[in-house]
Amino acid sequence: MHNEVPKIPFTFSSKLDIAFLTELYDNDFEQAETVFETSLEQIQSELVNAGDKFSQGDVPGLKKIIHKIKPLFGYVGLNKIITDFAAFEDVCAGANDISQTENGFKNIVKITEEALETINNELKRLKQYNTQCL
Amino acid sequence: MKFQSIIVEDLQVSADFLRRFCEKSGVVEVHAHFLNAEDALNYLKDNVVDLIFLDVEMPGASGFELLDQLMYTPQVILTTSKVEYAYDAFQYNVTDYLKKPFTYQRFLESIQKVGKKSEQQNGNSEQDHMFIKSDGKLIRLHNDDILFIESMGDYVKFITSAKKYITHNTIKNLETKVNPQVFMKVHRSYIVNFTKINDIQENTLFINGNMIPISKTHKSGVMQKINIL
Repeated sequence: MHNEVPKIPFTFSSKLDIAFLTELYDNDFEQAETVFETSLEQIQSELVNAGDKFSQGDVPGLKKIIHKIKPLFGYVGLNKIITDFAAFEDVCAGANDISQTENGFKNIVKITEEALETINNELKRLKQYNTQCL
Repeated sequence: MKFQSIIVEDLQVSADFLRRFCEKSGVVEVHAHFLNAEDALNYLKDNVVDLIFLDVEMPGASGFELLDQLMYTPQVILTTSKVEYAYDAFQYNVTDYLKKPFTYQRFLESIQKVGKKSEQQNGNSEQDHMFIKSDGKLIRLHNDDILFIESMGDYVKFITSAKKYITHNTIKNLETKVNPQVFMKVHRSYIVNFTKINDIQENTLFINGNMIPISKTHKSGVMQKINIL
């Protein structure tokens, strides 16, 4: 017989949309860990693909990738970034050639790199929490 | 009763959430997940579902292109991250529109809408008549009197054996409202009363001397519906 240590609920970082994440994951922090990990990997790999499309001057291809990555930020509580990505999608939709997306794309890369760091930090916290609770 | 569904979504994380929410709800069974519209269409040629969770922008054909090619009309919940599709969603008469990412509570609201619409549709299946607005009057048309319905842009023409009635409506809207035991869409511009079909030759059917085209996508649906001995 052993005494169970009561679980202290995980609290998401204040850099993220805490209310939304709390409702989305409903105390299932193992699922949260899985989603954060998957999102991190996918955003990283799609950012590389987006860079390739930009280098090739492929505006529709770039727009598609931006559209695909966009909701992933929501699942990790970075809803503000969805708005930034939606705005850049509009820039791509209205661009006649890749040069018109250059400034916007640089900004997207910067935002995404900062976001990746935030997601990675939260993922480490989730892993640590879930390991302790096993 | 559980709603039989499929998920058409190119983002795995979103599909995983949907599947999880469906399981949690206890009222939606997910039969398959497709990453693109083409694979989903192939599946839907041989399988009937009650509900499709449908992304709009995917590699290849879009979610709306999939809806254009469907042989029947299951309920559809659009799942997209773009609010700009709301108008199209309304035009396609979808049951609901979920903006990604969405919570379980929001998902449940959608499923409640599916339930309500399903009840309405089941009610329709017992109806033997419909009222249409034509020439400033509401006219009762018995299903048995209607030969077929033809699109005229924003208007449709109801052809009965005695008369033609023109009313402001669309085929897309009507296909969910007519009794599915009597009527079926055979082309994007035609719904026919299949009890009135006299004969079928290749991709054309004949009702009282009227030639009605059968589109490629609706052909197998028509052949399944008629009684071939």
